[in-house]
Amino acid sequence: MLRANRNGLPLIGMTVSLILGVAEANVVTVVSAKSPITALSKTQVADIFLGKSNRYPDGAQAMPIDQPEASIDRGKFYITMTGKSPEQLRAYWAKVLFTGRGQPPPIASSSAELKKLLLTNPLAIGYLDATQVDDSVRVLEVR
Amino acid sequence: MRIVLAPRDFVRVIAGSAWVICGAASGAGLDESMFSFGGFGTLGMVHSSEHEADFTTTSFKPNGAGYTRDWSADVDSLVAAQVTARFTPQLSAILQVMAQQNENNTYWPHVEWADVKYQLTPELDIRVGRTAVPTFLITEARNIGYSNPWVRAPVDLYGLNPITNIDGVDLSYRTPFGNGIQTLTASYGYRNQNAPMFGLLKVHDNWIITDTAEFGAATLHIAYQKAILVVPHLDPLFDAFREFGPQGVALADRYGVTNKPATFFGVGGMYDPGGWFLTAEWGTSDLHSALGRSSGGYVSGGYRLGKFTPYLTYGKSTADNLSDPGLSVSGLPPALAGEATALNGALNSILSTKRVQSTVSAGLRWDFLKNADLKMQVDHTRIGAGSSDELINLQPGYRPGGIVNLISIVVDFLF
Repeated sequence: MLRANRNGLPLIGMTVSLILGVAEANVVTVVSAKSPITALSKTQVADIFLGKSNRYPDGAQAMPIDQPEASIDRGKFYITMTGKSPEQLRAYWAKVLFTGRGQPPPIASSSAELKKLLLTNPLAIGYLDATQVDDSVRVLEVR
Repeated sequence: MRIVLAPRDFVRVIAGSAWVICGAASGAGLDESMFSFGGFGTLGMVHSSEHEADFTTTSFKPNGAGYTRDWSADVDSLVAAQVTARFTPQLSAILQVMAQQNENNTYWPHVEWADVKYQLTPELDIRVGRTAVPTFLITEARNIGYSNPWVRAPVDLYGLNPITNIDGVDLSYRTPFGNGIQTLTASYGYRNQNAPMFGLLKVHDNWIITDTAEFGAATLHIAYQKAILVVPHLDPLFDAFREFGPQGVALADRYGVTNKPATFFGVGGMYDPGGWFLTAEWGTSDLHSALGRSSGGYVSGGYRLGKFTPYLTYGKSTADNLSDPGLSVSGLPPALAGEATALNGALNSILSTKRVQSTVSAGLRWDFLKNADLKMQVDHTRIGAGSSDELINLQPGYRPGGIVNLISIVVDFLF
């Protein structure tokens, strides 16, 4: 029994990191290269994009930027960070909008536009397909 | 058989919605940078197994499913349009106009919310105007069918307080709290609203303090509300009791409604990690009058299978003091005895409006279009002896207590 457990644990660890690794290889959370932020928790990222929090942990105001609703990156990002499907996100934002409690983040028309916005705005935060990452952005470590 | 054609109901709903859309759109202007426009609605039909009374959702509706209609579109159907104006990053305003069955059986739209909001700091905002009453976990969103898992918010709890908005001022303060976020709100205001059974209800000095804590997928909500209730329509009844000496005065003091404080306390929580949800709420209100002390709560869970979300809910409400012997008739002259009996009857009909019941509901949500869902729900309600609050328009053939089964089919949409 004990032996089986000792052998089993690293295997579970490997599986978890593999799953996380696959998710991170697709869509990454990014800020401007000029931003002081290097890491956020998954809940912090979710809270910023769901409009529940408007600040980074250091107190600076956070400016989330979305990809277009049809974008594949957007679907992957939200299911990873918030667990919400596109239908659940629409239901969520309908509730926030029609109770006057806020509005969804502004939308960048493309990954290129998002990078341009990040370049000029150190407070902005977005997400990109990992292959789109270049020197203008910093990939956040999301724990 | 009293089958009234369903299409007529829909025509009334759609006529109401057309007015809302035209009215709101013409006021919106077309400056897209400052104004945004949208709306939501529900079209639904409900069938009740009880034909000697009507089922409906709030005491502000005059009829529903059962006696008046075999299938009623009036219970859940509504449409609302909203214009949001952002004048500066700090200053914004919203106007939400809603059409649903009114107390006078029309669909003439009303202003659900109209307020100006100023963001004093990133954490603190103030709103002035007509705002939502955040009594329950989802009170603010209870009319937005698309945002909720069920056909309607569980009536076992949400029936305790049917008022959805007040005219006044509210403050909201949102801060980080451990690993989560905490939102404290305080509202003060008043509301006058007509109810078919009680006439004009005036609620003033209405205070509500709420605290909502969100930790990732978990939300906890706690609320305390205190208000003064005035119901002029009921005053003559209790004035008449006072004519009957010390016993009548004591009954009037105990059961009189006007100028009594109404208090509510409620707690609720929801856990929704995405693939499933579990939510539970409980609340208790005391109106210090014939409208009495009532409590209600529910537990509900659902599991998401792609576009389908089956769910199950159990709700229960309790209340004390559903009847009172009233004035003692023995020893009174015949004329006065007759009046005393009538007064006792009127008092007891008010006492019995409190909700005592338990409900098991099963339903299915299907997200069949991008901005629309279809829901089907079955409710099985066991009504406690001597209580009628689930039902209105009681007919002579109605027998109190017993079982009511409902079938509901609704489409919720956003635009």
